[in-house]
Amino acid sequence: MQAQLLWRTLPSLVLGLLFLSMPAMGSCSDKYPELLGQLQKQADFMQHTNTLLDLYIRSQGLDKNGLKEHCRERPGAFPSKDALQRLSRRVFLRTLDTTLGHVLLRLAALEQDIPKAQDLEMLSVVKLNIRGFKNNIHCMAQLLPGSSETTEPTPTSPGASPSPTPTLDTFQRRLEGCRFLHGYHRFMRSVGQVFREWGKSLSRSRRHSPHQGLLKGARRMQLSGRNKRLMPRVQLAPGSHRGAPGG
Amino acid sequence: MALFSVFQTTFLLALLSLRTHQSEVLSEPLPWAPESLKVSINSTHQCLHLQWSVHNLAYHQELKMVFQIEISRIKTSNVIWVENYSTTVKGNQVLHWSWESKLPLECAKHFIRMRSAVDDATTPEQRFWSNWSSWEEVDVQNSLGHEPLFVFPKDKLVEEGSNVTICYVSRSQQNNISCYLEGVRMQGQQLDPNVSMFNLYDVAFIRETGTNIYCKVDRGDDIKGIVLFVSKILEEPKDFSCETRDFQTLSCTWDPGRDTGLLKQLPQSYTLFESFSGKKILCKHKSWCNWQVAPESQEMYNFTLTAENYLRKRSVHILFNLAHRVHPMAPFNVLFNDVSVTNATITWKVHSTGNYYTLLCQVELYGEGKVIQHNVSVKVNGELVLSGLQPDTEYSAQVRCANANHFWKWSEWTRQNFTTVEAAPSEAPDIWRNVKSVQGYCVVTLFWKPLTRLQANGEILFYNIVVKDLDRPSGLQLLSVPAPANRTELTLDQRSYQIHVTANNSVGTSPASVLVVSGDPGDEEVEEERVKGTEGGFSLSWKPQLGNITGYVVEWCDRPRDPPCDLQWKHLGPNTTSTVISSDAFRPGVRYNFRIYGISTEMVPHLLEKKTGYSQELAPSDNPRVVMSNLTSHSFTLSWKDYSTESQPSFIRGYHVYLKSKAGQCHPGSEKAVLSDDSVCCKYKIDDPKQKTFVVGNLQPESFYEFLVTPYSAVGEGPHGAFTKVTTPDEYSPMLIRIILPMIFCILLIMILCYLKSQWMKEKCYPDIPDPYKSSVLSLIKSKENPRLTIMNIKDCVPDTIEVVNKHEGTGKSPTEPEAAKPTYLYLLPAEESYSGPGPCICFENFTYNQAASDSASCGHVPVPTKAPSQLGLLTSSENLLTALEKNCMNSLEEIPAGESSLNYVSQVASPMSGEKSSLPTNPPQPELCSEYKMQMAIPLGLAAPSSSGSSSLSSITLLDEGEHYH
Repeated sequence: MQAQLLWRTLPSLVLGLLFLSMPAMGSCSDKYPELLGQLQKQADFMQHTNTLLDLYIRSQGLDKNGLKEHCRERPGAFPSKDALQRLSRRVFLRTLDTTLGHVLLRLAALEQDIPKAQDLEMLSVVKLNIRGFKNNIHCMAQLLPGSSETTEPTPTSPGASPSPTPTLDTFQRRLEGCRFLHGYHRFMRSVGQVFREWGKSLSRSRRHSPHQGLLKGARRMQLSGRNKRLMPRVQLAPGSHRGAPGG
Repeated sequence: MALFSVFQTTFLLALLSLRTHQSEVLSEPLPWAPESLKVSINSTHQCLHLQWSVHNLAYHQELKMVFQIEISRIKTSNVIWVENYSTTVKGNQVLHWSWESKLPLECAKHFIRMRSAVDDATTPEQRFWSNWSSWEEVDVQNSLGHEPLFVFPKDKLVEEGSNVTICYVSRSQQNNISCYLEGVRMQGQQLDPNVSMFNLYDVAFIRETGTNIYCKVDRGDDIKGIVLFVSKILEEPKDFSCETRDFQTLSCTWDPGRDTGLLKQLPQSYTLFESFSGKKILCKHKSWCNWQVAPESQEMYNFTLTAENYLRKRSVHILFNLAHRVHPMAPFNVLFNDVSVTNATITWKVHSTGNYYTLLCQVELYGEGKVIQHNVSVKVNGELVLSGLQPDTEYSAQVRCANANHFWKWSEWTRQNFTTVEAAPSEAPDIWRNVKSVQGYCVVTLFWKPLTRLQANGEILFYNIVVKDLDRPSGLQLLSVPAPANRTELTLDQRSYQIHVTANNSVGTSPASVLVVSGDPGDEEVEEERVKGTEGGFSLSWKPQLGNITGYVVEWCDRPRDPPCDLQWKHLGPNTTSTVISSDAFRPGVRYNFRIYGISTEMVPHLLEKKTGYSQELAPSDNPRVVMSNLTSHSFTLSWKDYSTESQPSFIRGYHVYLKSKAGQCHPGSEKAVLSDDSVCCKYKIDDPKQKTFVVGNLQPESFYEFLVTPYSAVGEGPHGAFTKVTTPDEYSPMLIRIILPMIFCILLIMILCYLKSQWMKEKCYPDIPDPYKSSVLSLIKSKENPRLTIMNIKDCVPDTIEVVNKHEGTGKSPTEPEAAKPTYLYLLPAEESYSGPGPCICFENFTYNQAASDSASCGHVPVPTKAPSQLGLLTSSENLLTALEKNCMNSLEEIPAGESSLNYVSQVASPMSGEKSSLPTNPPQPELCSEYKMQMAIPLGLAAPSSSGSSSLSSITLLDEGEHYH
């Protein structure tokens, strides 16, 4: 029980500390399009399996017929693309931040199973990227109108728990790690698509009203966030739900 | 016998009695039978742990017992293991025993039972075993849970080469299950309907993260597996040794060998145990460990190094005396004292080793490209005098030390550099000269080679050159050339000079080099010889010179093609008559010229011999530029006068002239040759390289030829480049040219002459038309003083006579004959009474007009028909005639149709004239009353007919005979 409690509270604690430390990391850019573009590019980069999953599969010997097929994301491990699209921008960012916090913890656990220094170095680069991405999420959250308002509850991502139950043997843990990383890359692909939709809505808003486009979108987004429970399919911005299929 | 029978019966009864008693004892549990047997399992290690106690053993009692343990698998009758476990049992002691199963315990039920006996080592066959305990069943499968499939053992650690048994447990017999080792299917053995096992033999290390073994239900998504961690075998540490540097710490090192590959799952440890002291330490590092030397000055040490992991333990031992394992620390405070030109003193210190040991120190001196080694015994401080050093030379000295009594290891080197003091240069510079005569002066370029470091003994600052006039001893000249110059130029007159050259550094001056330059350079004509060079250089030899020769000098240029040619020289002794000249600058295909001088005792060089050669001859790279001349129909001449054989990459031996022709036939003096492009041509060979012209003969007129001239040498010929094309002319063209050209010249000459004499020609051939007003007739008339005479207007003049001049064509008479020039006159005389003219007219002949008319094509004279009265009649009317004249002839002759262009000239009316043109008529045929001009006109023949009907003032026309009259 104590261990379970620790696993539950630890991510929140880490996340909280991370958010507290964000302002100390440096000043955020106040250019919304630039920041959005960065987030989109980073998400696009992190979706590639060669940054993490391929390395893991190779190091764990899972690249064999009969094993590769079982390295598939478990449903519910990460929020689906549809679920992400339904979220308001603020909740989306918070969800993203929380999920990536879990990913960081899980990567720390997976690190134990990676013996090669070279692979460990790559893993540490991935962790650095995730931390940078989280920092940008924080900056983006500051740019959204009403950032000082009370934070909305973050939807939990049931599958992105810090690590599988410790009773699992090495083989099962190995497969679970593979499935987790598969889900992580899929999740980042969905995140990239959501950010792309943000970008489309931004350009559309600029065309209609260059000065107030962002503000309008943000207000609409706020409204969407407030009415989330009543209207789960309320659009974040015009056209934001018409993302590319994926996930 | 009876006694025997009684005794036998008694014995049997006693035996029966004993047996009976014994059976009574056995029927009850023995007092020391095992009891409270408990079995537990350790799945990780696949172990069964047994725990029991001994029945009725008193607290203070101690008994040596043996326990027999039986293990069955799947069913009790299937005994797979029987073992006797001997131990000393105390009262109330709980006994333990473990057994490791090859088969994972989860794979099958196991049954265990045991019995005990007092262990009498003397008569083991007479043990009285207790009863077997009841079977204890171990069934782990019941606690596995409800998952459909399990694979065992989990996360097992084995060494490579081990045999491993794996099994799966399926919950359903319907499932068809396949198991794989790293993707390769394994063949198993069924233990029961739900369990199969797989024996893996001699497992190999695959990766650090273990070997994946997994089983899958064929028609399902379920997969279960295990990771078998296969470790490489832990190796024995190698090169284990210990040493001390300060008698306080022993540093032990070893080579741990290869990695087991499973450092995370199978960490290995190294422990160091010293048997004399009984101390043991766990080493923090896998390859070295420090041991504190005992303060009580322990001399001998016996170390055991143990490498250990979960699967294996390896140990190595060393025994040594501490004093024999001294590795001194590097010397320090290395200094150089009293550094002079050739000596220096090096001092150093060593770390204290308790003053009990003498150290052997080694000093190495590096300098001048060599190493000198010295050995010195040292207690605390070391000192060594280094002698025989070179001045102004940088040296490097390094020192190391070792235990002199029991050598173990050298210390590290400690290095220091120093430089000796400068001295005056020890050698005279090597000098040579190049003499040129310019406008009556000797321009002497003086060269010298820089002194080597050994010779210079310091940095050369400048060179002093003293020029001494031998004819005038007082004439001295001193030049100072700063280093690093290696030449200077002197302009001297034609006298003899002695030149001294010295090199100077900051300390002093070198010995002088002396050379005499005489007014006569002495470079008399010497025949040049060819030498053959090799890659190693040129081997030169010369005839020994009789007389006072102090030595020889060989002179050459390293870069003869590039001025300045980088003059080089080599001094040789007086007894030397050969040498090998080698240079890195020598290149193949370059001709090098060598001059060998003899140096007299007066230091005057005399040219002895000249040599020339190539270090390696190359085929000619260029063909000469050929000029073709004297092209005739049968030959042409080729010449390449400007081709220099001296600058070629080999000695030119001659030339090949290639001639291509369509005929393909080669004339005597040539031979057929096949070129690289398989074309055939004729080759003429010229053996004399000085012959630079060649006449290609026996050619066909109007034929196409191609030729190429290429030089050849001992190593080949020049490139077969582009051939020059030539076509021979025909045979007659030259002859025609010989005729036509002079003719053209003559004509031009005549034309020029004519042009220059045109005035004269004009006067002779085309005199000016006489002006009537200036006519001499006027003066004649005037002389007759006839007042009536005047010049008439042409309108006032009525023609009365037509003079017709007939020209005989084709008569063969020369036009220059007087008869031909004699005109025929046609007189137009007044025939009508109405004529009111002034009277008879005098008719003048105009030769110019006659001539013009005769020359004119359009107004050519046409013979007037003698029998043409009608036509003449047409001209009876003077008005008509005048009209016709005015209309047709006076206007433009060009308007006259061609068919009507035959004209009759009507001469000026005058008295008929005969005889010479220039002379006035003396006997006019008609009255001479009229002395006036008549109109000179041309009458087209076509106009004659219509005019016949018209009135005319002409009374008659006299027609002269055609053969007699010319117009």
